[in-house]
Amino acid sequence: MTPAISLKGIGKKYRIASSKSLHLRELLSFGKKQHTQDFWALQDIDLEVEQGTTLGILGRNGAGKSTMLQIISGVLQPTTGTVTVNGRLTAIFGLGSGFNPEFTGRENAMMNGLILGMDRHEMLERFEEIEAFADIGDFMDRPVKTYSSGMKSRLGFAVAVNVNPDILVIDEALSAGDASFKKRALQRMYDLRDSGTTVLFVSHSMGMINRFCTDAVLLHRGHMISRGTPEEVVGQYRDVLEKSQNKEPDKNTERDRQLDYTIAHEDEDDMPDLPKGKRGQRRPTGEAEILDVELLDEDQHQAHRVPAGSNLTVRVRARYAQAVEESAFGAVLRDRAGTLLFANSTDMEESSLGPREKNEVVTVDFTFGVPYHPGEYGVEATVSGDAGRLLGRTGEAITFAVVAEELAAGAVSQPPSRVEVHDSEELGPAT
Amino acid sequence: MATYTSSDKQSIAGEFFDALGTFYRKRWLLGYFIHRQVTRSYRGSYLGIVWAILGPLVWVFFLALIFSNVLDIKNRTVQGDPTLNFGLFLYCGLLPFLTFSEALNKGINSIRSNSGLVQKVVFPLEILPFTNAIASMVDKVFGFGALLIMLLLFGRTLHPTLLYMPVIVVLQVIFILGLTYIMAVLGTFLPDVAEVMRPVIRGMFFVTPILWPAGLLPENLSWIENYNPLAYLVNAYRDLILNGTLPGALSTLYFTLFSVALFIFGFALFVRLGPKFADHL
Repeated sequence: MTPAISLKGIGKKYRIASSKSLHLRELLSFGKKQHTQDFWALQDIDLEVEQGTTLGILGRNGAGKSTMLQIISGVLQPTTGTVTVNGRLTAIFGLGSGFNPEFTGRENAMMNGLILGMDRHEMLERFEEIEAFADIGDFMDRPVKTYSSGMKSRLGFAVAVNVNPDILVIDEALSAGDASFKKRALQRMYDLRDSGTTVLFVSHSMGMINRFCTDAVLLHRGHMISRGTPEEVVGQYRDVLEKSQNKEPDKNTERDRQLDYTIAHEDEDDMPDLPKGKRGQRRPTGEAEILDVELLDEDQHQAHRVPAGSNLTVRVRARYAQAVEESAFGAVLRDRAGTLLFANSTDMEESSLGPREKNEVVTVDFTFGVPYHPGEYGVEATVSGDAGRLLGRTGEAITFAVVAEELAAGAVSQPPSRVEVHDSEELGPAT
Repeated sequence: MATYTSSDKQSIAGEFFDALGTFYRKRWLLGYFIHRQVTRSYRGSYLGIVWAILGPLVWVFFLALIFSNVLDIKNRTVQGDPTLNFGLFLYCGLLPFLTFSEALNKGINSIRSNSGLVQKVVFPLEILPFTNAIASMVDKVFGFGALLIMLLLFGRTLHPTLLYMPVIVVLQVIFILGLTYIMAVLGTFLPDVAEVMRPVIRGMFFVTPILWPAGLLPENLSWIENYNPLAYLVNAYRDLILNGTLPGALSTLYFTLFSVALFIFGFALFVRLGPKFADHL
């Protein structure tokens, strides 16, 4: 397979002078006076990125991360070396940067999509999706000057990720927006990653790099000083940071360790896959493993978009890694802000699962009426044991979208929920 | 398009035609850009796009009014046409001059004022000056409409030579595009050019027969008019719109050749240097 991105001997030189007139003075002195300096923002970068890789790029401020991304995306020309890119590349350097405040969100979204290389008819097809993702309601048809900065980034991100790139380049674009938007943005990035998109990602958040990336590189003063797994590279990055802090006397005080911890974990609350605050205590024991979670519509077809007010079945399949006396399956539905909307479990419905053998596979269907409010929702599934011990859980929320459809008059209440337990042998083909 | 390598060095001609093709491939983007540019100044006003025609109409109306009823200055001595209003004569010459001055002013800034796009998105930069040039032409089409309305109000017949206007407009577009691309390159690399061009544009206003009729200059100064492409445009506008005559064939040929050469030079320069723009913003 050809690599998605290949860099050979890339270097980028800048001439630095404090003002343009110094350039002129240097020219007029015929080389007698030196007012400018050469500065290599990048030097000798060789890098191959395989398709489907999620590459995290670490480095201190000014290490050359953004320059590298700009060269890869073709915005900047390298001074030396060659760049080869295979596939459609979308780069996000700051969200909504091309928006014109006098024009409506809809007009700007269209422009932005065209700027990012989409065709007009492609854009028209995806408009509904973009609108749903941005979720800014009526503001879509109002001038962008009336938007809050969060709305602007939401719309910008919605357009950028709906371009369906083969290669997505993100330069800290996610630092904007509130927690709920961040979460959705991350969720979308996970989706892109899982669908095989090559993602290049700059972040100062080591936790993010660790969890999200399959691969990482470390830049230091324009040189690529390491490449490897995120854990290794994050470790080296810590060393680099520590070295630069060594001159400061108060190293390793209690306060310092606290700060380090905060920095390393700053964005964990925004992760889409785990409920807030409970991360420490709620790590699953691993006694059960959730194999997959399927979303089925009323016709028992797999669905990720369902009409408002219809019934959705969440089919959870899990295997016991050890024999268990008593256990319960649970499913929760959250909106994109992480608010719990609905929860159900086998013990709430008094369908006992009974003792289970090692390696036994059990399937449970949770059926419930989806909310009437259109938008994106997430489902998480758990298997818990006696005394509320968490045996296993889904790694990340399974998302689906509710799309508006005309309601029958008076249909305001949600249909009752239902839980059915199957052993996996009983599970025939979906009818 | 999906795959690119930075070391693919094309010939200038290859780059040139490749970039010309972008205009077709990106026609929607171009359309939206031009639309945005044309409607931008009217956005947020109560009358909206109506101002595009109302603005020039008010202006040409005042020009015509000032030079007829109020000051009673007419044009009879210089143009041999006793009914011609000097306001209309002036406005007819102003139209091509304004596209020229806007091409220079906006062209210089066309890259700098879009630094967000240039530095942050992979973007066909040749669209930016093109948008400026076409938008300013579209704007003048409304001005042209206003002029025709005023001519009718003043009881003048519209000459059949008006049908040749599209030809002149096409030549003018080529001329304006060439200028805009050159200015875009200069303005990006040398910000000082903006300061230089301001007096140059003012000077051009006076050495072009806008305030004064063509052929007024003495023999030894007639080169000012003869070698001024802008003078050709102004005279052609007045010939076709006001006098009902055709501009000279030879001067039209010269202007065409000059405009095409200017465009080829400007566009090739732009395409060649475009990739370096992001470093200079």
